[in-house]
Amino acid sequence: MEEKRIGVYVCWCGTNIANMVDVENVSKEIQTLPDVVISKDYKYMCSDPGQDLIVRDIKENNLNRVVVAACSPRMHEITFRKALETAGLNPYMFEMANIREHVSWVHTDKVEATKKAKDLIAAAIAKVQWHESLEKRTVEVNPATLIIGGGISGISAALEIANADKQVYLVEKSGALGGQVANIDLTFPFLNSAKQIIDHKIKTVMNHSKISVFFNTEVKHVFGYVGNFETTIKPNGNETLLNFGNIIVATGLKPFDAQKVANYGYGRLPNVLTSIDFEKVLKSGVIITRDGRVPKDIAIIHCVGSRNENYNAYCSRACCMTALKYVNQIKSALPKTNIYDIYSDMRAFGKGCEELYSITSRKNVMFLTFDHKDNLPQIKQASYEDTCNLLIEFKEKFSGELIEVPADMVILMVGMEAHEDAKQIAHAVGVSMCGNKFYIERHPKLDPVATTTDGVYVVGTCQSPKDIPDSVSQARAAAARILASIMVGKVEVEVTTAVVNEDLCCGCQTCVSVCPYTAISFNQEKKVSVVNEVLCKGCGTCGSTCPTGAIRSRHFTDQQILSQIEGLMSASKSKKKLIEIEET
Amino acid sequence: MQFQPTIVSFLCNWCSYTGADLAGTSRMKYAHNIRIIRVMCSGRVEPTFVLRAFKEGADGVLICGCHPGDCHYHEGNYKCLRRFHLLKKYIQQMGIHPDRLRLEWISASEGKQFAELADEMTEAMIKLGPAKINEVMQFA
Repeated sequence: MEEKRIGVYVCWCGTNIANMVDVENVSKEIQTLPDVVISKDYKYMCSDPGQDLIVRDIKENNLNRVVVAACSPRMHEITFRKALETAGLNPYMFEMANIREHVSWVHTDKVEATKKAKDLIAAAIAKVQWHESLEKRTVEVNPATLIIGGGISGISAALEIANADKQVYLVEKSGALGGQVANIDLTFPFLNSAKQIIDHKIKTVMNHSKISVFFNTEVKHVFGYVGNFETTIKPNGNETLLNFGNIIVATGLKPFDAQKVANYGYGRLPNVLTSIDFEKVLKSGVIITRDGRVPKDIAIIHCVGSRNENYNAYCSRACCMTALKYVNQIKSALPKTNIYDIYSDMRAFGKGCEELYSITSRKNVMFLTFDHKDNLPQIKQASYEDTCNLLIEFKEKFSGELIEVPADMVILMVGMEAHEDAKQIAHAVGVSMCGNKFYIERHPKLDPVATTTDGVYVVGTCQSPKDIPDSVSQARAAAARILASIMVGKVEVEVTTAVVNEDLCCGCQTCVSVCPYTAISFNQEKKVSVVNEVLCKGCGTCGSTCPTGAIRSRHFTDQQILSQIEGLMSASKSKKKLIEIEET
Repeated sequence: MQFQPTIVSFLCNWCSYTGADLAGTSRMKYAHNIRIIRVMCSGRVEPTFVLRAFKEGADGVLICGCHPGDCHYHEGNYKCLRRFHLLKKYIQQMGIHPDRLRLEWISASEGKQFAELADEMTEAMIKLGPAKINEVMQFA
């Protein structure tokens, strides 16, 4: 057996880890463990000098295994695997101990945190002993792309890919393209026409030779893996099989249902409109109340369904600026109408948005503040003696006074929500959802459009509330990622698949029955199970089912995990001296 | 000094491990007694892993997977659930209190739930006291 030469690197992560874990002490003690040739601590292991340190040590000391104790492997496992490759070592001879997310950031006792960090590193060392070289596998990439959702995001991505002469299948649930942008009049902050933005794009998509659009169609199940997906859709009842290499999910948003906030009387009071309703009013060209009068007073209420634990705790990001857009549009159409903008905090984060706020605030508009968390404003029908249609009663935050605002029309700035069928799409393509049912990106900063499923990207408001510029940026970013993979023509796939030891296989076929990907078949001639490694995604369910231990889940083998458990417990075990049998 | 249990936990890579990471990135504080081992799927957790953890002196074993219906591999968590029920009966026969083994669903967004679970299970293990199994298993 080859000699194990392990290098261990303990990261400070600046002060993130070093504050709570005595990294120098840890690295010193780890040095004494068997097979550990080198143990070092360093400020930032993921930095270039940090990686160079590993590369140099591997070369100079003939290390054949490396453990890095730092952040979550979900963050930098790939970074360090690449460093191993640079040094000429197989990237799988590596294991990470998560001493930041699972230790320093969550514990408050430095002694215990340091102890735990040592345990986790000891476990990683015990596991890496049994690691083996795994060869990378690549598959060809089908150059076609499936895009789910034909709003501004889906359309932008489709055009980007199709203009590079690659096939796009654009599947739209409704009967028209354009999504929410098709419903709005002007866009903020420059008050350009949404119609001008979207109509031209829709026309280009419809006439593009490389884009096939399927209306009134839903994607139910997607099979396959990165580079080679397939799905069957039923446009107009005709079953159609599509093959594609990548997927963009651009399913968009659902406006918050304003009826949920009883205080506002939406649905009961006819002149209480949502921002969605008001866009229609604007598009009609005349701003009049439901009973056909020109409104003397219009009130706009922000944060409807947003930033409130009873509805959605998050900020919907686009509503504040949309409200300012309304102010400008109303002012220019009805200069004599009084406008009351009832807001909580003015969120003007985007390019040109603070400027819009600054211009709007000089337009003789009454800006009033309310508490978005409790005691929401109460809208009621005005009495006959009043000169207005509605009255809004609330506690003005700055003055602290209970005030009444008159209004002939109230516009509720409704927030954005994920679609009700978000979960169904998530299951179909294999992406995760956060608590608010928005799709989760692979990494919020480092990988914002990819997902944990290779070849599946999320763009636009299905990922989180956002405005048009951000949606388009994401869409084009995802398109660029996909075009890059198409250009290379090949993509690396999972190598941590299952493999059958034919000598041990008893032919019971239990593994065949549990595999969710039908990746295991039975060889009648040899009477053994065979794993199709292209279909296998490495979940390891077969490995834990196999009664004879004939199936090995690569990189998570029994030997590796059992050693990891032993390593993990090595420190606490020695403390335990127990004799009694526990009562049950 | 108060007894400090050691809890070995197996977390699936896609939901639960990410959930535990989220507890970290959100700087939620929880008991230090939890030691996490990453597996790709809760369906990968073999009974042997659990038994080995107890043999090595774990006072509790926690398995976490994606919520039913949300498994990254479609149904690995169901396979885990079936095994879990059987295993719970089995460990009792070996003299291990059934409460020492738990299976919980933690999604990628449930950092808070993970932190609470860690605290709650640690509390429960403190009440149960040290697991007294390893000598017995060594004799066996």
